Order: sequence, then structure tokens, then C-alpha cells
Amino acid sequence: MLKRIVYSVSGAAIVGLGLFIIYAWQPAIDPVTSSTINSYSPEVIAQGKTLAAAGYCSTCHTPPGGIAYAGNYEMHTEFGTIYSSNITPDVETGIGNWSEEAFMRAMRTGVSRDGHHLLPAFPYEHFNKMTDDDITAIYAYIMTSVPAINQVKKDNGIPFPLNISMLQAGWKLLFADTDSFQPNSAKSAEWNRGAYLAEGIAHCGACHTPRNALGGEQYSKMYQGAPIDGWIAPSLTSTSTSPIPWRSQDFYEYLTTGNSPYHGSAAGPMAPVMHKGLSALPDSDMQAISGYFGDLARTNDTDEPDTNTTLQAAIAAQHTQPNHQVDEGARLYATACQACHYSSDQLVKGRPLLTIGSATHLDDPTNLINVILDGVRADQGISGIVMPGFRGALSDEDISAIAAYLRQSAGENTWPKLQQKVGEIRNQPRFEH
Amino acid sequence: MAKFILNGKPMTADVESDTPLLWVIRDELDMTGTKFGCGIGTCGACTVHVGGRATRSCITPISSVEGAEITTIEGLSEKGDHPLQISWQKLQVPQCGYCQSGQIMQAAALLKDIPEPTDKDIDAVMGGNLCRCMTYVRIRSAIHEAANSIKESNDEQTA
Amino acid sequence: MSRLPKRGSAGMTRRGFLIAMTAVGVSFGFPRHLMAAMDPASPDGKVLPTEGDIYEPSLWYSIDTAGKIKVNIMRSEMGQHVGTAIARILADELEASWDDIEIIHVDSDPRWGYMVTGGSWSISQSWPVYRQAGAAGRTALIEAAAKKWGIAPADCKASNGKIVSNKGELSFGELVKMGLTRQFTEEELKQLPLKPNADLKLVGQQVTSLDIANKTNGKTVFGIDAKVDGMVYANPILPPTRYGSKVVKFDDSAAKAVKGYQQTIVLDDASGSVPGWLMVIASSFTAAQKASKLVKVTWNAGETANVSEADIIAHGKKLLSDASKGGILDTGNVETEPAFASAKSTIAEEYITSTVLHAQMEPLNALVFKNPDGIWEVHSGCQWQSLTLPVLATALGEDEANIVIRSYMLGGGFGRRLNGDYTIPAALTSKALGGKPVKMVMMRPQDMLFDSARSASVQQLKMAFNDKKAVTAMEHHATAGWPTQVLAPGFMPKGVNGQPFDPFSIAGADHWYSVGAQKVRAVSNDLAIATFRPGWLRSVGPGWTGWAVESFMDEAAHHAGKDPLQFRLDMLIAEGRNAGTTPVAAGGAARQAVVLKKVAEMIEWGKPQAENTGLGIASTFGQERDMPTWVACAVQVHVDKARGSIDVQKLYIAIDAGIIVDPNGAEAQCQGAALWGLSMAIHEGTELLNGQYKDSNFDTYTPLRIGQTPEIKIEFIPSTQPPSGLGEPAVTPVAPAIANAIYNAVGVRLRKLPMKPDELKSKLTNA
Repeated sequence: MLKRIVYSVSGAAIVGLGLFIIYAWQPAIDPVTSSTINSYSPEVIAQGKTLAAAGYCSTCHTPPGGIAYAGNYEMHTEFGTIYSSNITPDVETGIGNWSEEAFMRAMRTGVSRDGHHLLPAFPYEHFNKMTDDDITAIYAYIMTSVPAINQVKKDNGIPFPLNISMLQAGWKLLFADTDSFQPNSAKSAEWNRGAYLAEGIAHCGACHTPRNALGGEQYSKMYQGAPIDGWIAPSLTSTSTSPIPWRSQDFYEYLTTGNSPYHGSAAGPMAPVMHKGLSALPDSDMQAISGYFGDLARTNDTDEPDTNTTLQAAIAAQHTQPNHQVDEGARLYATACQACHYSSDQLVKGRPLLTIGSATHLDDPTNLINVILDGVRADQGISGIVMPGFRGALSDEDISAIAAYLRQSAGENTWPKLQQKVGEIRNQPRFEH
Repeated sequence: MAKFILNGKPMTADVESDTPLLWVIRDELDMTGTKFGCGIGTCGACTVHVGGRATRSCITPISSVEGAEITTIEGLSEKGDHPLQISWQKLQVPQCGYCQSGQIMQAAALLKDIPEPTDKDIDAVMGGNLCRCMTYVRIRSAIHEAANSIKESNDEQTA
Repeated sequence: MSRLPKRGSAGMTRRGFLIAMTAVGVSFGFPRHLMAAMDPASPDGKVLPTEGDIYEPSLWYSIDTAGKIKVNIMRSEMGQHVGTAIARILADELEASWDDIEIIHVDSDPRWGYMVTGGSWSISQSWPVYRQAGAAGRTALIEAAAKKWGIAPADCKASNGKIVSNKGELSFGELVKMGLTRQFTEEELKQLPLKPNADLKLVGQQVTSLDIANKTNGKTVFGIDAKVDGMVYANPILPPTRYGSKVVKFDDSAAKAVKGYQQTIVLDDASGSVPGWLMVIASSFTAAQKASKLVKVTWNAGETANVSEADIIAHGKKLLSDASKGGILDTGNVETEPAFASAKSTIAEEYITSTVLHAQMEPLNALVFKNPDGIWEVHSGCQWQSLTLPVLATALGEDEANIVIRSYMLGGGFGRRLNGDYTIPAALTSKALGGKPVKMVMMRPQDMLFDSARSASVQQLKMAFNDKKAVTAMEHHATAGWPTQVLAPGFMPKGVNGQPFDPFSIAGADHWYSVGAQKVRAVSNDLAIATFRPGWLRSVGPGWTGWAVESFMDEAAHHAGKDPLQFRLDMLIAEGRNAGTTPVAAGGAARQAVVLKKVAEMIEWGKPQAENTGLGIASTFGQERDMPTWVACAVQVHVDKARGSIDVQKLYIAIDAGIIVDPNGAEAQCQGAALWGLSMAIHEGTELLNGQYKDSNFDTYTPLRIGQTPEIKIEFIPSTQPPSGLGEPAVTPVAPAIANAIYNAVGVRLRKLPMKPDELKSKLTNA
């Protein structure tokens, strides 16, 4: 694959090396001092605070247990390990000497103040959808309200030649979406507000849209689901494999409470998105985002899940206990899981019915295995309740037996090489925040 | 420093972040009503409530419960008179008693979600709690008994 | 922090209540270091203070001036509510008010005599002792009241905590206040008149057991809860074989990164209990546990490192084929050869049982330290203090008099805590640290790996029939690893051939059926004993001999063309040695016939069953011929032929245990025991693999859970005979009843425990 990149870059070079260099070269923007930074109204700063939260900036710019916005959050990508930047207003190691113009350019085009190209792990393509006012507000918040922390960014573990900054320019040329936000006049203002937030500050597609081999978002498959940080960001569209359709009100419940009883809980990378991010937005914005995704999922908001035959069958199936003498997975499930994952005749929030859960119905067992291994913390899923983790408790064999039993009970095809997969996931770097 | 609420009181514990909640409760906070059985979440002896839900504390790292509300058997009721504790005494459920804190905590969570459980409901929800003395017959009866007494007292209140 | 004064390095924390008993001990006048006891009804187990002087009519209780009675219980509480049962025997005879009773589980002071809780002996053995003790107090109190009133003792009566006469009434407390000193010699005690059984008021009545309430609010103090200031935690590292492994070297460099890790030591064990062990010491349980996983140890493994279950079984078969091996029990006429030689027909079958683990819920643990008086204190639940003390003495190199085992509630005994070997590693570690308090709590896999399992067994039975298909002789040859040979060889009697045998590995084979000449031979499986340490497990021998006898009885009935119930009844003749001897065994085989008929009635024996559904019956006795509890079981079983799974739908027990002291507790014991029988019949069991048990936790070791619990009925036969035992007997007939029901349901005979779907399926396919 490296060869392919080199070739494609070389090809571009042959055709118009000069043009490319002109395109790729970006000037440094002069540093500023704190005295020259504009003053901003409290309203603008407050708006910036909300947006910085809604964009969960701190999630990627703060390592677990580290100082907010000071960077060095570790990300494991297929191209290597990378560390986020210090975006506190520290002059030496952060963005303290960035002008508003430099910040705007970085947010819109992924170019640092000094002119070097930032890696696309920074979702500038999405932030570019935002209005100038919104970006300015974020700048205003960071520069005035975030404490300056002197902390040098660690070097990325990206191998040569991918670490050549100018290559990022080529990447942008090939893949980046440089369009600004385009309202859809056929839809309501609320829908468009939802779309603006989802495509922009919330950068939902950064995780939920599949990427090509070089990490570019495939816009033809927008929100159709993709692997991210050792998890699967499920499809948010009509291609969703969830047996119970996701309605606007389900998105709303999920995004505001961390759980939809018909689908599952916000675990893994999604947990901070809703708990530390979107929760900062006003309710009207949450309604707008939920409405937008309900529309994309092409579900009917008046569908009543309680009359859904799949759901009814799944609830009824709980009452027939398989024979534990002959079914190892069923026995382990009854032993380790069922105390919580059982509802009697109607679903109880907080007792997730796993045979209808999204994780069980994905084509990939990753999310289910992740949750079995590491559980759900009090600050993930539904706030204040936890699922313990079985990493140190159950073997790969035990966990795959449970997962296989659930998959079978859910009426889905077997996941291939499940036990091996459990072992792989057990040994991969854990997503932490 | 882990911070959480235990039986209504704010608590801190200076332990490694991967220390299981069970051992923080038992050894650091000196509340030994919650028991250690298997260490892998398959026997239920260590069951406590986190956010009101039955949770196996032996495989719950303390870092998972940051800020959460935890209830142990000592805090289930003020005077040891939760309807389940009363029915447990009345029907003389415990034998050796070692698993019973976990059984009662699990049953309390059951009744909150499923106030009038059938035998099947009980079998499903209590299936993770081993009792080596095999007091299962009485556990079933005592859960029904407690469910009835809760229902009766609710009926009285609404009447 | 502590409400109690600190005493040197072993000052107690809030929950470390035991030394607090010192104050009470002084009032009893006991030597201070031996004073420790537990009241299972009081918060945190503390014994209540006494009021004023006390009067001790016997070793077993005291009465204070408030009339409060402290009853000393030397049996361990592990779920039987034994203290409540024993105290009510005393209170009944004494005519005490039940509200004045406090029970106290005492420590291992030699004054209590031989301390063991097992064998279902507690009630049967305590019955005469505590009744005499109660009579002593009643007599003394009546005498004192009579003297005060100036009337004859015969004109006074004890009732509900008072002595009454036409002069008025005096409470027990008032009489104690007057200063009672009357003591009784052993001879006098034996002469004291007892109440007629018919006049017993507390015995047989519903009483809430005194240990129950604390077991619902987390206040009961188990061994694992014991805590002393300044204690360190130790987690063991177990060697690859039970015996013979030697530590070559260890490397704890990785463990040093664990916060709180202190050191790792190799144990030097003169008692031979824990050869090849290391102990990882740290300031907290979790640190010790974490560090122990990081210590790398190289051992030279013992010789049994490759032994598997199949080897034990094969070795057992080889042993049985040698007729010179083993002890032959005295069953009257043991000369079976003539009957077999002249038999018209014979049958012979072989039965095998797999290794079974105790898997008691409270993992093994012990806290040991040397107290400021130079006494080694062992804080741990224990079933057999008198067996454990000498082992501790050997390990510590101390006189037994300088060691005391404190009393705690047991988070399950089931026989595991009869063998006190788990106290040794903690004791040795404390010794290595100069007597510092050391708390060892085993992780579940360590507990299981170190179990004294119920040994696998091989049994070969044969029966001779005459031309009328009547039974003329029977032989029963059994081999297993003998726990008694390893742990308490003094308890092994000699057979009629002069060879010693383990009664706990053969009892039950010497059944109460009249079968003509009868040979019962018990053989020790030395390979089993070399590979692991066999233990006594709830129901001991009868738990597996009964399986063979009662499966075989059905097979014999089918051979004879008789109904299995009638076939048995025809042979239960209360004559000769099967007439039974007084006191406990009086009635003999006739009483077994009664329970058998009763259970047949309960299950509606003979009633046609649905397809693939069958009834099965079996009848046994526990635990020995001189203390038999007669028990019969009937089950209804459905077999899923496609999957081979066995669904036990009804489980009924009829039982005759003489007088039932505690009906509620007795029912609980029988429910638990019957479910143990079910669990060992089809749900649990392990095997040896490379010298160790294959299963080490509840993900793969699978005792019965609530969802597999069938409808249960327990019926007691009303009786005026002295009580026998109840903790174990109901285990014994369940497995054979299920095997018999499976046969009646689908025509397949399973002869291996546990009965597994795979085997049933393959037999169904081949049938």
C-alpha cells in the first residue's frame, strides 16, 4: 500500500509537480501576542464553550486522566500511532500565538499556523461546514477560558513517507470534502439545523462514514457504518442491521440518556460523544439531530416497537430456558449475563435485551466482544450504572460461547472465527478516554 | 483517589484504579457483608447495587464507578427490615448464609424491575447467584412472599 | 478507630472483635488467651455481657443473675443452625424461656472435648449430653428454690425460666443471685431423671434460628472477615502436583512493580500439608493477588504430574481384580462363594463415579498470628479442630497447648473444612515473619486446586439368584482414594480379614437388605492418594456406594422380573443384624421399608407416565449402620432423546431421622442435601488432568443453580426414637433414583456419575 501512495503521489508530480507545490505550500501566519487578540463578548465565549463541548474537542485533545485540551491523547490508526496537539492557549506549546485567522484556516483546511499540514484525524472537513461565527466562538472560548498548559506534543509514530507533511496536501486534493454546508431547501429548518450540527461540529461522519484505503470518507456511503478505535460505528441509515428500526425518538433517547432500550447503550468511543459532547447542546438541537438521523434511517416515527413482532418474539424467547447440560453458551449466559439482561414481559430500560441489541446484529462481533471484555463504566451508557468487565474473568472460549449463543438466539448467521476474534480484540490496544 | 457514594455517604479510597470494587468495600472501607466467591462474576456472592442495579463487584474496577451511587447489604435498609430481609427471616432461607447478601441484593433489584415475578422470572434473574447450601426452594418462596408484602403495602397506601 | 484498647501489634480493628471477648472471658474465669467465642445472633458476633455472678451447672452453659443463659456450642455453624438446635435441647430439659437463650460457638479449648462437626453426628451426639446438662441445672435450681421456701424439691416445678410452687415463684435469675454452686459428677449426671420425650415443648416446635437474622443483613462474621491491625495479606502459589513438587528457583522481579508487594517466601512445612508452596506477601489482598501472578517459579514436579482420571479408574479396576486387597466388612455371613457356585443365575455390574469438588462458597482462608501471650491464634472457620490442632502443632513446631483455633461462621463446610490443611500456609507464613498477623485468602482457582475432593470410585457388584429368582448372595467391591487413611488413620477399623478399611469410603454398601451371604470389600486406591488428597464430602461413602447399591437393586429387580419397589420391600426384613440395635438404629430394616412405601405413595408409584418420562425410586440410609437415618427418594424424569438432556421434574424424599429437634432446619437440610444429590447426579463433577483437577472456577465447574431446581417435597416419618443425623443422608438416594427413572423412561442404564447427555445419547443410539 505504501508503494501505491508513493506511485500516486509520483504520478501527480509528473503531471504537474509545480502546480502541486504551489497548491500544497501554505504560508505561515504570523504569530500574535495575547495583547493583540480580539476581545469577545461573554455570549460569544459561552457559545464557543457549548460548541467546543458539542464537538467533544477535549475527548481527542486530552489523554485519560490528563489535562483538558493539552493534547497527547493517543490514537491507534492503521497508519500508525498518533498524538493529538496541545490546543490550550499556551504560547510555546499550544495555540497561544495563533490569530483568529490561523485558527479559522486550521479548522477549515487542516493547516497549522506555521503552514504545515495536519493529519486528517483532525476532522477539519467537518468543521469546515460550520459558519464563521461558530468557529470564531470556539476560538474565543479557548483563548479566553481554557487554562494555558505548557506540554510538548509527543512525536507521531507514522512511518516514512506517510509522515511527510506535504503528502497531506495530496491527500486533501484526492479525498477532502471542501464544500461548505449546503442546506436542503426541501427539508424543514429543524432538519437543516440537525444536518448542520451532525455534519459540522458533531462530525458524526468522521466515525460513521466508511473510509477508503487511504482513510478518506466515502461520501457515497455517508453514515453507513465503519470501524473506529477498535469498535464498529454502526450504520445510521436504512442499511442498519438493527431488527428494530431507529426512529427519531430512539435517536433522541439514545443521545440524551446514553441508551435506547430497543438498540443498546452508548459505549466505547460513542460514550464521550454523548456524555461529554452532545449533552452540552440545547434540547432543540438534540431534537434536530435526532430528527435528521430519523429521516436518514427512513423510519416511521409512528411505528410502535412494542408491537414489533421481532421484539415480541425476542421477549417471549427469554422465557424458554435452554438446557444447560447441552448448551455451553446458554449456561454461561445464564450464569454471567442473564441477571441483568432479562426482562419479563416488557422491556425495562437498564435491562438490555441482547437478542435485539445492535451489537448482536452487526456483521462484525467487535462491539459485543468489547463490551463483554471491558463492560460499561458509570460515565458511559446510562449514567451512574455499570456493567462489569469479564476481561480477567472469562476465557476467549467462554466469551465466544456466550457471543455465539446470543447471535444464534438472535436468529443471525454465525460469526466466523469467533474465538480467534475474541483473542485478537483482547490483545488490541484498548480505547480509553 | 476514587470517589463514590456508598450507602448514601460520600467516600474516597486511595487505591489503584483497577482494584475491584469488592475489595475496596471489604478491605478499605471495612464493610464485610459483601462476599467474595469466585472473582469472575459467576457466583453472585459479591452483588451490590450500582445506580440501583445489581452489579458483580468482584469484576467491577473502582475506576468504573467514579461518582456512582453504591449500595451494599448494609445499606439496603436502615434497620435490616427490607421486605426481602423480613421474608428471608420468616422463611428461614439462609443456611450457611455466605451467599445470602448477594442473593438479597440481586432479589431487591429483581423486584424493582419486575414487582410480581413468576418462578421463571426468578430463575432467570437469580440464575447467576450460586447457593452451595442450595436454599433455592426457599429463595423462590421468599421472593414471592416479599413481592406480596410490597404489593399489599402499596395497595394500602393507594387505598 | 477501635472501641477497644489496642494490645500490641495485634490490636483489633472495629470488626476484629475476638480479643474483645477477653473481658467476658475473665468473668467466666477462663485463661485469657483461650477466651474467644462467637454469638451468631449479636451484631458482629460479640458475646453479650453478663449481669452479676453466673452459675454454671455444667460445662455447657451458664445462667446469670438476669436469668440469661449462655449455651456453649462446640459444633461449628455452617448452615445447619446447629447452635439453635442444640440449645433448644438444653432449654427444653432445663425449662428455660427461649427468649433468655444466647448461643456461643466456642474456641478450641481442650475442655470442650473432641471437637468435630461432621458425619451428621451433631444432634445425635449432643442429644443425651445437653439433656443431662439441662436436667442438672433444673435440679439445682429446684433444690435451691425448695431450700429457700423450706419445702421438698418434689413440690417445686420448673417452667419457663422460673421455679414455681405453692409458695410462689422464683426466676432463674433470682436463684442465681442467691449464689448457686451445686455441681454434678459424671455419675450424678447419668442418674438425673429426664423429661419424658412426650413432654418436650421446644423440641419439634417452630423456632426461628438465632443465626438467621444476621445472615440477612451482612453482619454474620465468617473466617474471611477476620481482621487484625497490622496484618499482611498472603496469596499462595501452588505447585504443579499436590505432593512431591520442589521449588528450584523463583523470580519476583516483575512482582516488585506492584504497589504494596513485600516479598515472596518458600514454605518449609514439617507437617507435609503444603509441600512446594510459595506465599506472596503484600499490604493488601489485591496487591498480593496481583503480585502472585507475576512471580515466576520453577519446580521439579512430583511423580503424579501426568496422572489423569482414567489412570485412577484403571488403577482402581486393577486393584479390585486382586481379591487379596482391602478390608472385608463384618456383614454376618461373608462366605458368598458357595451361593455363587450354586446359583441358577447371576448378575454383575460396574459403577463409576467421577471426582467431585466441595466448591463451598467461602474460599479457604485463615488469619494466623502469635498473640502477646505467646499463643498462636488461628482465625478461621473449621469443622474438625481436634484434627487440625496437631497438624498446626507439627507445622509450627509448637505444643498444641499454645495454639488456639478461634470460632467463626463457616461459609459452607460440606466436609471441606474437616481437613484443616488450609490453616497451615498462613501459620507457616506468620511463623516466617516472626508471628506477625498473616491473612491468607485463596482465590477461587487456588481453593479448587487445593480441594480435598471426593475421590473417583470404582464399584463392582454382583448378585446370585436361585431358580425362583430369589437373591441368595451379594458382593460389593469398592475402591476409591480414602480420606481417612490420609487424614485420620486412627479412625480406621479392621475388617474380618484383619485388614483396615476407611468406614467413610464403604458405609452404605453394608445395607439393610437381607441378601443371604454378603461380602463387602473396601480397597484403598493408592494412586488416588498419591495424586491428590481425598476428602470427606457431604454424604461421604454413602454418597456413592448408595448410587451403586440402589442402581444395582433396580437392575436386579428387572433380572428377577419384579417390581423394583416390591423387590426391595421383600428384602427389607427386620431380623437378625437387620433388626437394628438401640438406641438410634432400633427398628432396622422395617423403618427403611416405611420410608420406601411412603415415597412410593408420594410419587404415585406405578402411575403411567408420558413418553420418555419415567419414575425412579431408591432407598438408602446415612451415615452408618449404628446411626442410620432412613431415607427414600422418588423422582420423575423426562429425557430429551435428541439432545440426551435429563430433566428432573419432581424430587420427593421420605425420611425417618427419629425425633426431629428442629423441623424447619431439618427440612432445610434435607432440601439442600437432596439438591446436592441432584447436582452430583447430573450437573457437577470434574476429572483429574495432568495431576490436577481440570476445573478451577464456576465458569466450568457447575453446581446446580436455581433454574435447575425441581419441585421438591420432603416428608418426615413421625417418630419417638432418639434423633439420628440429617445433614447428609438425603444426598444418597437421589442419583440412583434418577438413573432408575432414566431407565424406566428410555430403557437406557447409566452407570457413571455424573450422568452426561453425551453418554446417554450414545447409549440411546446404540440401544
